[in-house]
Amino acid sequence: MRWDELKQNVGDFLHGYFVSEYERKLREQFVDLNDLFMLQCFMELVGLPNPASIYLLDVYPYFLEEFHTWHRRMGMDRSPIGSMPCC
Amino acid sequence: MRELLRKRILFFGGKGGVGKTTCASAMALAAAREGKRVLLVSTDPAHSTSDIFEKPFDRDEREVYPGLMGIELDANLEARRYVDKAKAEIARMFSHAVAKEAERQIELASTMPGVEEVALFDRMSDLIIDRFDAYDLLIFDTAPTGHTLRLLRMPELVSSWIAALSRRRRALLSLNQDIDRVRLAPEAIDPDEDPILRTLDQRREKLEQVRARLMQHNFTGFVLVVIPERLPIEETARAAEILRDSNVNVCGVVVNRVLPDDLEGGFYQSRWKQEQVYVEEIKRRFAAYPLTWIPQFETDVYGLDNLERVRSGLMR
Repeated sequence: MRWDELKQNVGDFLHGYFVSEYERKLREQFVDLNDLFMLQCFMELVGLPNPASIYLLDVYPYFLEEFHTWHRRMGMDRSPIGSMPCC
Repeated sequence: MRELLRKRILFFGGKGGVGKTTCASAMALAAAREGKRVLLVSTDPAHSTSDIFEKPFDRDEREVYPGLMGIELDANLEARRYVDKAKAEIARMFSHAVAKEAERQIELASTMPGVEEVALFDRMSDLIIDRFDAYDLLIFDTAPTGHTLRLLRMPELVSSWIAALSRRRRALLSLNQDIDRVRLAPEAIDPDEDPILRTLDQRREKLEQVRARLMQHNFTGFVLVVIPERLPIEETARAAEILRDSNVNVCGVVVNRVLPDDLEGGFYQSRWKQEQVYVEEIKRRFAAYPLTWIPQFETDVYGLDNLERVRSGLMR
């Protein structure tokens, strides 16, 4: 292995190591925020009134995709909520 | 009351059965007589405008008197239509499979308490925004007090709720963009292109617009109708206070069904004396507002002839 190549590989490794660590943190934060957002949109599901629920009707279909990404990211293959049956 | 004809939006409210509909209708008649284009909107579930004008009213505008258009809104029907509209929109934009699945969520949401109220308010908002320029005066005959107060506070409540949602959504998206920057592989949605954020913001804008119109004291006013009796006085006084606190312009109080003082007979005399106590109380408690007195008539207000009497009472 040439010196340049080695330097490149070590550099990539370190970059990947630290950046992915940072990315993981960001993603964790994203998931937390998304949880809260989803909860605010689907308060009915936990039995709390949602003052804007009818105003959210036209937004629901956009959530299907979002919701799907979310539960897959959380490590659930199937949708955990019956009324959001994206898969 | 005559100067109120210069307003653009008037609400008539008060306890159930005090004659809100009669007064609102008489006011609409007065405005139409002056050559104004008037829209009379009844949101009271009891719907008696059609009885007063002896003409059928509908959820769409129709002429009930020259220059006077009328609408009767039904909260249940509005909710239904709102949900159907949302469904149609979804069916248009998404694949059949998605639409079918989303429909379940929508059905669930549409049965939630409060949905009818919001749907009714949404229709009223449409009228206030879209039909504002088509008319010189919009008159809303509202449901009994509590309901109406909630309705007037709705824009504030819902719009702050939506604002919170949209703030959170924006934070999410910008976090997503940060992740992109780290990964050097763009996949995040641009906040300006996000359909969810766009829908939320549009909603909020509309609500804010309605709120701004309702709070414009120079062209929006709330008229309270009361009768000289204990409970209506209490309820109306409370309503006036709440309205003032919510920065709604209470621009007049109509005292309806006041016994005339020229009645003969012991029974009427003692009724009249009893009523004077309440009349005095009304004068004292509503001193801050212009008062208009409408006498009790010997017959029910039914049909245009009788309405005409109330109209001239209001304009006196």
